[in-house]
Parts: sequence; structure tokens; C-alpha cells
Amino acid sequence: MASAAIRPSLGAFGRISSAAAATTAPRSLVSTTQTASLSTTTSLLKRHKYPGARDNKDYSKHRGESAIRRTGTRWRLSMSDEPLPKPVPREQLPPIETDPDHGLWEFFANRKTVANAPEEDAKYGRSWSVEELRHKSWDDLHRLWWVCVKERNRIATANWERNKSKLGFGEAEALARDREVRATMRAIKHALTERFYTWEDAVKLAENDPEVNLTGDGPAFTPRDYLEEGEATAAEGEQQQQVAEAAEAAEETAVKAQPAPPVTPDPAMIPASQPQAEAPRL
Amino acid sequence: MQPTRVLQALRYRRLRLTTKDVNKGFYKGTRTGSMGRHTKHGGYIIDWNKVRTYVCPSLEGFKLTPFVTRNMPRTFGRYETKLGPKDPEMYLARWKAENGLD
Repeated sequence: MASAAIRPSLGAFGRISSAAAATTAPRSLVSTTQTASLSTTTSLLKRHKYPGARDNKDYSKHRGESAIRRTGTRWRLSMSDEPLPKPVPREQLPPIETDPDHGLWEFFANRKTVANAPEEDAKYGRSWSVEELRHKSWDDLHRLWWVCVKERNRIATANWERNKSKLGFGEAEALARDREVRATMRAIKHALTERFYTWEDAVKLAENDPEVNLTGDGPAFTPRDYLEEGEATAAEGEQQQQVAEAAEAAEETAVKAQPAPPVTPDPAMIPASQPQAEAPRL
Repeated sequence: MQPTRVLQALRYRRLRLTTKDVNKGFYKGTRTGSMGRHTKHGGYIIDWNKVRTYVCPSLEGFKLTPFVTRNMPRTFGRYETKLGPKDPEMYLARWKAENGLD
């Protein structure tokens, strides 16, 4: 009913006009100028406003509403009697396809579980010592740092899942593991800082070294003393053997610290074209 | 940073310094540095040269882990000089021994 939506007084006008039109059907043929007995336009219905007049507002928000006559509310309700769709059971849904190589998988220890069991978490070794890292190259330390970052991310993800899903014990193991990773990261920073400070001191030392040319023109290093031809080749073979052995030993353990270099090695002992297997830094 | 001597004494000694302990103009921060600058209208302009970027190297074939097996005891270096691993002479000697290219 359209007139129920507008104000009841206007609805009353509509009823009057429709009733008048129904009863006086023959007369409407005579007078064609006026179809409604009353004007229903709002502009004409509006009362003349004089200064100080009451406003024409309807202050009763629930006018016309009645529970007995089941009028309902004056505003339109957002309900409908359409049948709701039923959810499909989880078993009938197609499997969710995921990218097996997605990078986010690396936030988990494995793909089956969200968090490692405490027994699994407790299986870890000791942290790297600074002395072991002193012999690693910059690239190795850089990559080891990111391996540590990823491990910490994994631990943090498991912690978050453990809290969220209330999985129970395992926090102590995760924290202990995390502490060991952070010890490794601290050792990396220690080794790199130490290396940088030593390099700074060595540059100062090289400024007064007649063998070293720091200007950038010409070779940076001009050795002063040479060995004889026969001596050099003998020393070269010996040195190559030593380096090969050292490289093998380093690959076997991957953590074995190489022996500390001699304090003043003879520069001529190592030939010019000698490729360093894994350049052990200071 | 450290608070002034007055604040270090007495009742402030065991409390952390907050913005309410000092005059205006004190910026406590989160030790993280800025990523841009404020405008006079209250906005913020991000300076992409200041935004941190982290370069993760390729970890393909990298076998080291954050841990070392416990079967191997911690190694300690033996250095003959007092400065130990921080000895610049040894650094220079190594550099020369590796042919001094770099």
C-alpha cells in the first residue's frame, strides 16, 4: 500500500479522493478539468508560515504504528523471505591449491604441522664461536646471517601458532633455541666489527709501508724481496699441497677452524697465480 | 641517551625517562630513525632513499646452519701477539700473502 509509506494524513487524502472518484464516475465525464476533489500537492498543502509559527514537524516517531493492527514499522525492514543458501560441507569442496614453492612456506619447519613439537625444537647444536667465524668470508657470514634470520622467523611463527591455538608446552624449548641463534648472530657481528677495525688499523699501518701503494695508481703491492727460481718452484709445490689439504679438511667438517696464519709469512712463498680455495680471513 | 644529572639523582634514578620528565622538544623515539620528513601542514613525505631495504643473498646450496654440532667443542684461536686477531700487522701480512690485489 503506497499511502501507508507516506504520512497518514496524506493517505487519508488519497482515500477521500479515490472514494470520490468511485462514487462520482459519471460526473467526471462532465468536468474534465479537475480529477481530484482536493489538491494533493505538498506545496499547496503547506501552511502559511508567519513569524514565530510552530514548525510543521511530526514529533511522534512512531505515529500510526500499532501492534494490535499489525502495521509494522514505519521504515522498511532489511529482511526478506527468500530462502538462505546452505553452506557446502567441507568434504565436498575442491581442495585448495597452493603454490608448493611459495616463499611463505619457509616460515614453517615443515609442511605438515604449524609448530614443531618441543622434542623437535630441543634438537639443536651450540652456537658458532667467534673464532670459527673469523675464518669465514664476508659472503658466507652474510648468508649465515640470513639463515639465522629465517630460523628466528620460524621460531617466532611457531610461538605465535602455539599461543593462538593453545597447543600447550614448548615455549621454553623455543626460547632456548632462539637464544642460541641470537648467540650466533652476535658472533657474526663480533667477527665483522673486529675485521673492520683491524682493516682500519692495517690501512694506517700500510701508509708507512714502502711496499704498499695506497694512491690507487699502479699496483697496490710491490714485494721487495724475491726468491731464486729453483727455490720458488719447490716452495710452490709444497704450498699447493698444504693448501689442498687445508681445503679438504675445511670441507669435511665445515666448521673446523683453520690454523692461525703465521705472523709474518714470506710473501714470495705463495705464487702469484695461486687461487685461494676459501680465503680464510683474519 | 642519558638524562641530566638532576634527573639521575634521587627519585628519578630507577625510573625510565619519559617525555613527561623533561621540557618540550624532547623526542624519545624508538631508536629506528626516520623514513622521511614532516610537512608544515601536518603531513609526512616519505623519502625512499631513507626507507630501509634489506638484501638477502641467494641461499642456494648454502649448507651452514645457525648451529654447530655439539660433538665439536668450541674452538679458540692461538695468537702470538698481544692484540690477537685484532693485530693489524698480521692483517697486512695476510693481505700481502694473498698477493695484495684488493
